[in-house]
Amino acid sequence: MHYPEAITRLIESYSKLPGIGPKTAERLAFYVANKMKEEDVLNFAKSLVAVKRELMTCPICGNITDKNPCNICRDQSRDRSVIAVVEDNKDLIAMEKMKEYRGLYHVLNGVISPINGIGPQDINIKDLLERLKDEEVSEVILATNTTIEGESTAMYIAKLLDKTDIKVTRIARGLPVGGGLEYADEVTLLKALEGRRELK
Amino acid sequence: MEIKQLKITNFRNYEQLDISFDKKVNIFIGHNAHGKTTLLESIYLLAISKSHKTYKDKALIRFKEAYSKVSAELKKDDTFLKLDIIISNQGKKVLINDVEKRKISEYIGVFNVVMFAPEDLEIVKGEPTNRRRFLDIEIGQISSIYIYHLTQYNKLLKQRNEYLKQLQQVKKIDYAYLDTLTEQLAQHGTEITKKRIDFIKTLTIYAKKLHQHISNFEEDLMIQYLSNYRLKHVNFENVFRLYKDHYQKDIEKRVTQLGIQRDDIRFMVNGIDVSDFGSQGQQRTTALAIKLSLIDFIKEETKHYPIVLLDDVLSELDDIRQTQLLDCIKDKVQTFVTTTNISGIKSDLIEKADLFCIKKFHIYKKEGEQDGE
Repeated sequence: MHYPEAITRLIESYSKLPGIGPKTAERLAFYVANKMKEEDVLNFAKSLVAVKRELMTCPICGNITDKNPCNICRDQSRDRSVIAVVEDNKDLIAMEKMKEYRGLYHVLNGVISPINGIGPQDINIKDLLERLKDEEVSEVILATNTTIEGESTAMYIAKLLDKTDIKVTRIARGLPVGGGLEYADEVTLLKALEGRRELK
Repeated sequence: MEIKQLKITNFRNYEQLDISFDKKVNIFIGHNAHGKTTLLESIYLLAISKSHKTYKDKALIRFKEAYSKVSAELKKDDTFLKLDIIISNQGKKVLINDVEKRKISEYIGVFNVVMFAPEDLEIVKGEPTNRRRFLDIEIGQISSIYIYHLTQYNKLLKQRNEYLKQLQQVKKIDYAYLDTLTEQLAQHGTEITKKRIDFIKTLTIYAKKLHQHISNFEEDLMIQYLSNYRLKHVNFENVFRLYKDHYQKDIEKRVTQLGIQRDDIRFMVNGIDVSDFGSQGQQRTTALAIKLSLIDFIKEETKHYPIVLLDDVLSELDDIRQTQLLDCIKDKVQTFVTTTNISGIKSDLIEKADLFCIKKFHIYKKEGEQDGE
């Protein structure tokens, strides 16, 4: 037996969401059809459209925003000579929570990973290079994750900026704050040792 | 280093098992397929956090059960240690003294094992992949930094090979990205190669001596590490340059040609390559000498003797080889032996040992026999 056309299409739509398989999609679709009040359904539909129409990625930094450009890019009190490059919006928010960083951001929206079909041209690197040409930036902080892909992406960007005068830095890795040496594993200790700083 | 108590729950065909060990040498006697090897496997798992038989952790869970657990109480110097390893559908959990260790590198090396199994002959006789596996397991046992470099290298190699494959579809090659992957690959490859060189160098010293004794001073063993880089001086600059010189070939073949994934070891006895030209006896002697040398090697590196597991190999060895083996174990190394029949085992060893009978995944200690006489 076939489902009515409207249900089939709703199931398909739900299936496109991350973490939702065909069974869950079916359950959700039937819940909407049988249990939800019309008013709630309308509100749901409106918010779905609203996030897409009213939210956008900032054309400058790639952050998700309801303003063009985003609040961070338009904030004149921020230090416009420094750009922190992060993998995604969640990383930007983590950095903002610190309330210490006053520079700008650039959100890559991913990392380079050929086995996942993501090449250098598939993430937001081109815009970064354009930005660096126009704006007066003196430092780029590469704040991608310390995974192998995050590391490759950071090194790749550093290579692209090799010929420019811009200072390129990589965030440090090593011991967590307040952590004792005895609790650190060998690899973390090795990295902490490699990244040691002179005190005198 | 000694295991005082071993507890097993839902491990392979075992439902429950709880044994204590008092002696250095413990012999498990039983028919085939009654659970002898599984017992050694559980000890191996505790040390390496992987089985020597399978890559799939879930295969270790008893049929229709939700989890599998192996625990042991160990005596290291004068302190006691409790180890647990739990395998379930959610994955693997390891605990030291009831504290969970998130990273395997924090767990590996708490105690070491050397396993002797019929498959050892493959290290000498088999394909190069057997020898690389030998390198990785044995170096990994004593160096978690090695495991780190190895996992990073393998991930990068996968990315690089995939990228090389995708290059067919692009018009212009992004050399900056190829450089990035290559530079990282060269970094980890250099570290791995250095560690392999050191390992083989040290192992040779021990293995050479043992081989002489086993062969009654008639044979001389040399172990050569055949690094695929073939460099006189292994450092990052040289390795990176080597990869760069191979770009064209890599792009043509669409796969990374160079690297530690192509390394090998060569065993030479009296100047002859034993893998290809040695007799069966020479190959056995070589395999035994290498495995035996690990006992001293691990002692030297970690300051503790490993635990020795002998899976169905003892009765296969002739008198000289058994004597040599017993010499290495002496009274210092805790040893677990499995056999179908104790008649092939030297009586000096049996006298010192506790005997256990294994029948259909149940175990009981054979009392009285060695005291009674």
